[in-house]
Amino acid sequence: MFYAGPLILGFLLGFILGSRIKFNLSSGLNFTTGSYIIIFIAAVIAAYLIGPFPYYLDAPLASGFISALIGIFIGKIVLGRDIKENKENNKENF
Amino acid sequence: MSTILKLFIFPAAIIIFCLGVNTILGGHITPGGGFQGGAIIAGAFIFGAVIYGLKDSPIKFSHDFMAQMESAGALAYVFLGLAGLIFSGFFLYNLGVDLYGIIPPFIKTLFDYPDPINAGIIPYLNFVVGIKVMVGLSAVVIAFLGFKGEFSEDEEEIEEID
Repeated sequence: MFYAGPLILGFLLGFILGSRIKFNLSSGLNFTTGSYIIIFIAAVIAAYLIGPFPYYLDAPLASGFISALIGIFIGKIVLGRDIKENKENNKENF
Repeated sequence: MSTILKLFIFPAAIIIFCLGVNTILGGHITPGGGFQGGAIIAGAFIFGAVIYGLKDSPIKFSHDFMAQMESAGALAYVFLGLAGLIFSGFFLYNLGVDLYGIIPPFIKTLFDYPDPINAGIIPYLNFVVGIKVMVGLSAVVIAFLGFKGEFSEDEEEIEEID
């Protein structure tokens, strides 16, 4: 049995944060799908090492951590569109 | 900044985001809470802003976003307090736990956080405080970084005049 509280709130916060990840295409930064997979694996390992909260017996890893990670990725895919270069656009984003 | 930092900071920021969210969600049961988790998330944002620069940072907190989050967090906190006042007569009464046994059961169920220890509205308060602190601390750093840019432009103008 999974406890819905940390899963829902963690996903919400992650989604909010993921929607703010927007690469500026002129910055030269390039993170491929492979790098996101590496981030996911590293985060799952971190969640396993952190472990669940006390009295949470639903999973051997931090469920809020994992749901936040999934929320970040989904937020990035749904709303986090990359920004095409121009100075006026950059000013609007800050 | 160096290439190594530019390669490392974005993945690290994502994992620090998750750690901050985890800290917020465990505020009622472990050390931490809304302020601490929000500060961790803001720290990840600041990490990116310092290393990549405000313009090129992949994590962008716009003015509108920060205003909306700040307002939503404050309003949600006040509404949770007012809900307690309306249903029990006490501001910020923990409706999900109902220690005094004075509210109807369906209200108690509505405000109860679904986890094994029945913390009531405390995790929700942590959540909204976390959102507020996250954007509040980030806004301070954005203001400082923006001010630095303006200052250097002025300096250049003064140098040109000289």
